[in-house]
Order: sequence, then C-alpha cells, then structure tokens
Amino acid sequence: MEFSQIIVNSLIRGSELSLLAIGLTMVFDILKFSNFAHADYAVLGAFLAYTFNQVFGINLLIAIVLAALFTGLFGIAIDRILFKRLRVIGANPVSLMIISMGIEIALRNMLRLIWTSEIKTYAIAIRKPFEILGARITPLQIKIVLVGFLSMVAFHILLHKTKFGKSLRAISDNRVLASACAIDSEKMITWMWFLACAYGVIGGTMIAMEHVLYPRLGFDILIPVFCATILGGIGNPYGAMVGALILAFAENIVLALDLSRLINLGGFFNVHSIQISTGYKPAISFVMLIIILLWKPTGILRKK
Amino acid sequence: MVGIYGLLAMSLNFQVGFAGLINFGQVAFFCIGAYTSSLLATKVGIPLPFCFAGGMVISGLFGYLMSIPTRSLKSDYWAIATLATAEVIRLIALNEGWLTGGPFGVMTIPQPFQFLFSRDSYPLFYLVLVLICVLLIYFALSLLSDSPFGRDVKAIRDDEELCLSLGKNTRQIKLQAMVVAGMVGGLAGALFAHYITFISPENFRPIETFLMWAMIIVGGRGNHAGAILGAVIIQLFNVSTRFIGEYVSLSPDVMASLRMLIIGLLIILFISYRPEGLIKEKKKVYYLKRRDGE
Repeated sequence: MEFSQIIVNSLIRGSELSLLAIGLTMVFDILKFSNFAHADYAVLGAFLAYTFNQVFGINLLIAIVLAALFTGLFGIAIDRILFKRLRVIGANPVSLMIISMGIEIALRNMLRLIWTSEIKTYAIAIRKPFEILGARITPLQIKIVLVGFLSMVAFHILLHKTKFGKSLRAISDNRVLASACAIDSEKMITWMWFLACAYGVIGGTMIAMEHVLYPRLGFDILIPVFCATILGGIGNPYGAMVGALILAFAENIVLALDLSRLINLGGFFNVHSIQISTGYKPAISFVMLIIILLWKPTGILRKK
Repeated sequence: MVGIYGLLAMSLNFQVGFAGLINFGQVAFFCIGAYTSSLLATKVGIPLPFCFAGGMVISGLFGYLMSIPTRSLKSDYWAIATLATAEVIRLIALNEGWLTGGPFGVMTIPQPFQFLFSRDSYPLFYLVLVLICVLLIYFALSLLSDSPFGRDVKAIRDDEELCLSLGKNTRQIKLQAMVVAGMVGGLAGALFAHYITFISPENFRPIETFLMWAMIIVGGRGNHAGAILGAVIIQLFNVSTRFIGEYVSLSPDVMASLRMLIIGLLIILFISYRPEGLIKEKKKVYYLKRRDGE
C-alpha cells in the first residue's frame, strides 16, 4: 500500500472513531463508569438516519441531524429511567457498568428485531475516487474527514468558550463544589448525555456510510472506541481525539507492514513477504488496548 | 447444556461473587478448554481423560495470565481488558487455520464411552456425567469458599486495602482464585466440545459471556447454588422459547433477538431492583473464640 494511502485511510478512520470516543469519555468523566452501550446508541442513530432517508425520503444530511436529535433524547430517557435512580442511591460504578451492558444487549437485539440483521447500505451514488498524491479518496470520505474535523472544532468551542462548557468542566472536576456554585448538575448531565449520543450518532452514521450498516456493528466498534478512549487518557476529550488517530494509524500501518524485511535481516534468509492477515485487523485494537492497560492505564494525555 | 452452563456460571461466580473480579472474558476459558481438549483428542489422539485434564490445565494457566494485570488495574479497566482478551482468543481460533481449522472448526471430536451406548441413550449418559461433574465442582468450590482461602478471597472483594494491611498477599490470592475459576471454565469447555462433537469460533462469541453474567445476576452473586439456579433459569428460558418458536409464526431470527432482548432487560431489572439476585449470599459472621481465663 502506498504510504499516502495509509495516511488517508487513517485520517478517515480516526475522525470516525474520535466522534464516538468523545461521547464515551464524557460519560466516564462525569458519571465515572464505562458505558458499554455507547456504540449501540450510535448504531441506533445510524439506523434512524437510514430510515428517515430511505423510507421518508428526507435528505440524508437532515436525516442524520434528526437521528442525532432523537438518539440524544433516547439517551436522556434511558438516563432518567435507569441511571438516575442508581445515582441517587449511590450505586457503585460496577453496577452501572453491568446495567449498561444489559442495555447494550437489549438495544442491539431491539435493532435486530426492528430492522432485521440484513446488511443495509445508504443510497449514496458511488463516485469515482480521485487521486491526491497517489492516494485514492472518494468525495464521501473527504466529507467524513471534514465533518469529523468541524465537529471537533465545535466541541472545543463548546467546551471552552461557552458557559455550558465551563459548567460541564466544573462538574467533572468537583461535583459538590459545582453544585455549591449553583450549577444544576442533573441538568448538565442531561445535556451531556444528549451531546454524547449526538456525537456518537454522527460517528456511527459515518462508519455505516463508508462500510455497511448492521445491528452488530455497535459491538464490533465498541472495543476500538474503548481503545481510543483509554489510549488518549480516559476523561479527556482531546485525548480521545489523539487516541482515535493513533489507533487508526496503528491499524493501517500494522496491516501494511511487511514483516519479511525484519526476518530476512538483509538477505540472510530468503522469505517472501509476510504480512499479518487482515483477519487480525480487529485484533490490533484489542492487543493495543491490552498493552496500553498494562503499560500506561492513564493514557497518553492525562487529565489535568 | 444446563449443567455445562452451570459450571461456567459457577466459575464466573467464583471470580465475581467471591473475589470481586469483573471478568467480561469468561468465554475465553470456555473456548480454550474446548479447543485444547478437542485438539488433543483429534490431533494427538491421547485418551480422553487426559484431554479433559489438558483442557483444564491450559485454561487454568490462562487464568494465571489473566490475573497478572489485576495487580495494577482498576476493576472496570480490567473488565474491558478481559473482554478484549476473549476476542483476541476467538480471533486466533478463527485465523490460525493450521491449528484450529479456522472458521470450519474442529470436527468429529470423539465422545467418551461412546461404544457402550446406543445413539439414543448416549445423551442420557452424558447428562449423568455432566451432573456428576457439577456436583463434584459444587462441593469442591463450597469447601474451598468456606476454607480460610475462601474467606481471604471474600475479604479482598469487600476491602482489598484492609486485607493488604493484615498482611495477606492479595495478589497471590486473586491469582489462585483465577486459576481455580479457569480450570472449572476449562472443564466446562471440554465437556461442551465432547458433547456436541463439533466446535467453531462461532460458539465462543462474547454474547456467551453475557449469558453467563445474566445467570449469576439472576441467580445471585456470591453463592454457588445461586449460580446453578441462574444457569437453570436462563437455559430453560432459552430452550423453551425455542419450542414456542415452533408454534408462534415468527422467524427464528426474530425469536433469537427477542430472546436476547428479554435477557438484556432481565439484567437491567435485576441490577436495578434486586441486585442480590434470587438467592442471597449468606453473610457469615465470625467471632473470635475466647479462651477461658482471659
């Protein structure tokens, strides 16, 4: 594979993953538990967008926005019904985590029930990819990177330039002090869920647009997203972005790597090119996750 | 099948309910036990009891490996790591075709004592075999959890730092707990493989782990009877809905997703409203025995 192609592919994957990782990291930051259902919220949104687009014939862009809206509301509803009660009685994070696992299973199978496990694709005209510096890229992929980048900028502005962002950061630092300063933490948590779900939906829809859409997608992207989150330092949105990019590069580079050069040692052995089989692609993020957890569980960018 | 899942649930329960280790990769033990035993039987061709033992040993070793990171990782990080580990194991089984047959799996796994029984009575014999295993493991684990070792394990779950300050080697105790759990899980895997005679990576998807979780959450964490009860309930539910499927005109796909949907909801409801499960763990209070004259 051309090197420029690796960069392009990684950028695409990175922008998709980071949108999902941001939501996961926010939930962990504020509520202190790992939300296993996060990726499935995103896939729910992707299915909604699909339905709005295909069945009701709404423009795809508007459909995605609508889907993000609905999924955000869904996330808030789940929080109200399940998590709020446990928050009030002060359950430990492990029960919250197990509940989110229950939601993951229930939601995934609900999706399968409604939309069946058939593979779906969005009705996007396949256009001829054009070449930039030897890398092939389709207009859709350019849009994905662009949307990813813009969403990140928007997130940064939201977090640092608005009152909402300030309150959110305050809650993450010290909940008690924040409520003493008249910040309504429940209200902020509601908004936080909305934001996390909406960002997740954008990321999830982009993944589904580039590949295909099926109910188990949520589980398949869950571990890469976790990996990106932890790699960047859990609870840190910028870390999540960096982590997603690094993971994306690692995935593409490891697959492209030619191990035979290593083994041949300048002509000692004559082995033809050995590459890691693409069947192991999901394993890369798993193995990376395990290595990070063993070596540096706090991630690269530790929360300040 | 109930018995096999009972074993798995007991093994998971020993980690979660007793040692407080949140293992989301329980299926890895199951997988390793099944593959080791069946490969030993089909490729090496040693007698079956040794295959079973081999499955248990390798799976126990794997438990040892998995317990190493518990030293430095918080429980939820470790949970994610175990989930990833189980997937790596499954992917290895899927991709290393020379060893495991890849997606086609291992076929024609011999059944123990097959020559003694006809095809119809064989499942009955196997049921007895599995039940004996369940009973043996149940008593062994009960003995173990009432022993000083079992008390140490529970103490770690309740307060690890206190335990450390009392001079207990918490790391070693956790490690031993994982090895025990791994061996039981491996046994379940071996029993499974030699019963259905065909295994493929598809048998070991992460959803199996969640099924086991549903079992111990419904049945009750921290006691072996609860784990078995949970396995019976969930497995009966699974099988009975399959029969209902023949009468209700729903496609199998719909039925399967409906089934899992209900299991997911069960987990949510139990954690929300009855976190201790159907059978509560008996809290034992230990008193110091006073000697006379003191």
